[in-house]
Amino acid sequence: MQPLYIQSISQISAQKPFSESWMEQPIQYGYGYHRSIDPDFKDFFSPNEARRMGRLLKRAIITSREVIKDTQVLPDAIITGTGLGCIDNTEILLKALSNEGETISKPACFMQSTHNTISSLVGIDLKCHGYNTTYSHKGISFECALLDATMQLSKNDIHSVLVGAHDEMTPDYFTILQRIGYLGGDMKGFSSETSVSMLLEKEKNQQTICRIDGIEICYCPTMKELTSSLERLLKNAKCPLPSIDGIMIGVNGNSHNDNTYSKYIPDLFGEVPLLRYKHLFGESYTAPALGFYTAAICLKHHHIPSHLFIEDCNGKQGIKHILLYNQFEDKNHTLILLSCSN
Amino acid sequence: MDETIYITGAGIVSALGVGKEATWDAINHHQTGISSIHYLKTTHSEFPVGEVKLSNEEMVKILHLPSTMPTTRTSLMGMLAVNEALEQSKLIRHKGMNIVFISGTTVGGMDKSEQYYTDFLSNDTYNAYIATHDCGACTEMIADYFGGFKMVSSISTACSSAANAILFGSELIRQHRADIVVAGGSECITKFHLNGFKSLMILDTELCKPFDANRHGLNLGEGSGYLVLESHESLSRRNISPIAKLAGGGNACDAFHQTASSPNGEGAYRAMSLAIQQANLAPSDINYINAHGTGTINNNSSECNAIKRLFGETPPPFSSTKSYTGHATSASGGIEAVISLLAIQHNQIPVNLNFHDLMPEIPLEPAIIDFPKYPLKNVLSNSFGFGGNDTSLIFSKI
Repeated sequence: MQPLYIQSISQISAQKPFSESWMEQPIQYGYGYHRSIDPDFKDFFSPNEARRMGRLLKRAIITSREVIKDTQVLPDAIITGTGLGCIDNTEILLKALSNEGETISKPACFMQSTHNTISSLVGIDLKCHGYNTTYSHKGISFECALLDATMQLSKNDIHSVLVGAHDEMTPDYFTILQRIGYLGGDMKGFSSETSVSMLLEKEKNQQTICRIDGIEICYCPTMKELTSSLERLLKNAKCPLPSIDGIMIGVNGNSHNDNTYSKYIPDLFGEVPLLRYKHLFGESYTAPALGFYTAAICLKHHHIPSHLFIEDCNGKQGIKHILLYNQFEDKNHTLILLSCSN
Repeated sequence: MDETIYITGAGIVSALGVGKEATWDAINHHQTGISSIHYLKTTHSEFPVGEVKLSNEEMVKILHLPSTMPTTRTSLMGMLAVNEALEQSKLIRHKGMNIVFISGTTVGGMDKSEQYYTDFLSNDTYNAYIATHDCGACTEMIADYFGGFKMVSSISTACSSAANAILFGSELIRQHRADIVVAGGSECITKFHLNGFKSLMILDTELCKPFDANRHGLNLGEGSGYLVLESHESLSRRNISPIAKLAGGGNACDAFHQTASSPNGEGAYRAMSLAIQQANLAPSDINYINAHGTGTINNNSSECNAIKRLFGETPPPFSSTKSYTGHATSASGGIEAVISLLAIQHNQIPVNLNFHDLMPEIPLEPAIIDFPKYPLKNVLSNSFGFGGNDTSLIFSKI
């Protein structure tokens, strides 16, 4: 693929919204489940608008608007990744069906329960008639959206794509996901929520945060297949492994998850230092978008703060490349290479 | 270099039966698959539906799955259709090839979640079905039944999910990310969305009447439809003949309302225009439109306005095959893709059932009588979803 540029990126997460203060002063969280820190919704919506929209939709609209305000670009396409969609509304309906039976009538909840309500509402908000789609594939929903964005941008008539990654977590769904060990269990980290929006374009400009050099997605790969995906990515980007400053991985303190990374990392990446981000942002299906955000901000500042390194390190200056490696349940594996744009 | 996207296999499961033969036989005899509710345990027996006439247990048997394996209705129907598609393109033992699986669904494993939700919250009895709830889980169950897929992904754009999966799949081939893509969608009827559509007051208590003046809404359906998409290089390498080609596709957003379509059908107009443009065709080259045609007041007039804007006063023949299958929501784009291919193969336009009177607001008449051997070269298939996620695909004769 041709290199692409991130012109603006915005987040609402467990760290301060829209802020890069986590670089130097990260908010620390203990085990369990912590929701995102929301901005004051009153600053963005009239009471009428606010009432009509669930929390996740508000976050998606706000981060999208921030990116559009920042770049002054109306995107040619809007592509969204979400693992569970608007699970809050989905649960309201499931509970009502269980408790009250089929006499219920909750049209607003139903309208806002489909996964694509996020992307389409952003389209409505921005009055954007372009390509609009939604990926919902477990822990790689964001990467699927990003892959599609890179493919759309290779077309002549698509110049800019708004990519979003959004997931919320409710107390009940946290309980449910603990039962199957995706969250909780022996997990030392925490679970949280994700809202990330970004604008991608083909040309670099003064605002550019960093460059996307490539993306690979594999399903149930053998070690050999995963290695050749990595080699293909690095070769296309003309970026040999030793010039990579850090590998950003999704360790979260859950032994099943973390051991899977340990299984592949030595053979794939040798001695390249490992970086983490879920100690800042927690676990969620689209958390990899926050790993992507973390890496992008580090590249913008040419600096990786010490708390991102898994092994003790005083931080690193003058960085040029960060590779993101995400795996979900040892089935879906993704690799993304981000580089400094100057 | 030949950048054409070829289709080498197609599989379908719907209210009309399992497989292409049963489907075409019913359409040919103007027999609808819509009837009163039998398989879904619901109190709303007043709504006719297009159910697949097999229980989960029967599908498990046909597929030779262990009866103890946790499955969902969406994944079972998906396996049946993918099996037919892979068999037709001689890909059943395909390990080692660069094949991708893209599936569209919205409901996913909701059939089990709505059954066991209170258990999920309070005990460990049905934990196996927590992991089958999400869209990705259904896709992976289907993929793992066959094995050997190098990438899998799920698209969820409500009623255009399968069409967008096919569109994304074609792009993966065009950009050399895959040689072969199996793409489409699967969706079962659930109480969740039956009650949801009921709350929006867009379900008809009679058989749906797409494009009729007295239409009252849609009938829900279920099923699955998948295509095998393949590059020219892969065709030559495998020495296999295509059945048709995917000439073009377009995706646009109506950007109007979360569930309603804009009166002038802006999103639909743009999606159809883009598809025709990508296929390097003129509107006059389209021989038949397999309409989205849900049977709701709003959708039918909006779609007809878009058709009129694009094709003028005398559009090509169009019909809604949802009068046979019901509206299989996320799967509808896959099901209607396969029906479009069957129409091309048989040179015959599926007749729109239950049409009597022209819509006063936009008097366009769908195809209601058989034209034997109507030459079909290019067929446009529309799939429009909630939120204005509108997608059109064009299938062409080789």
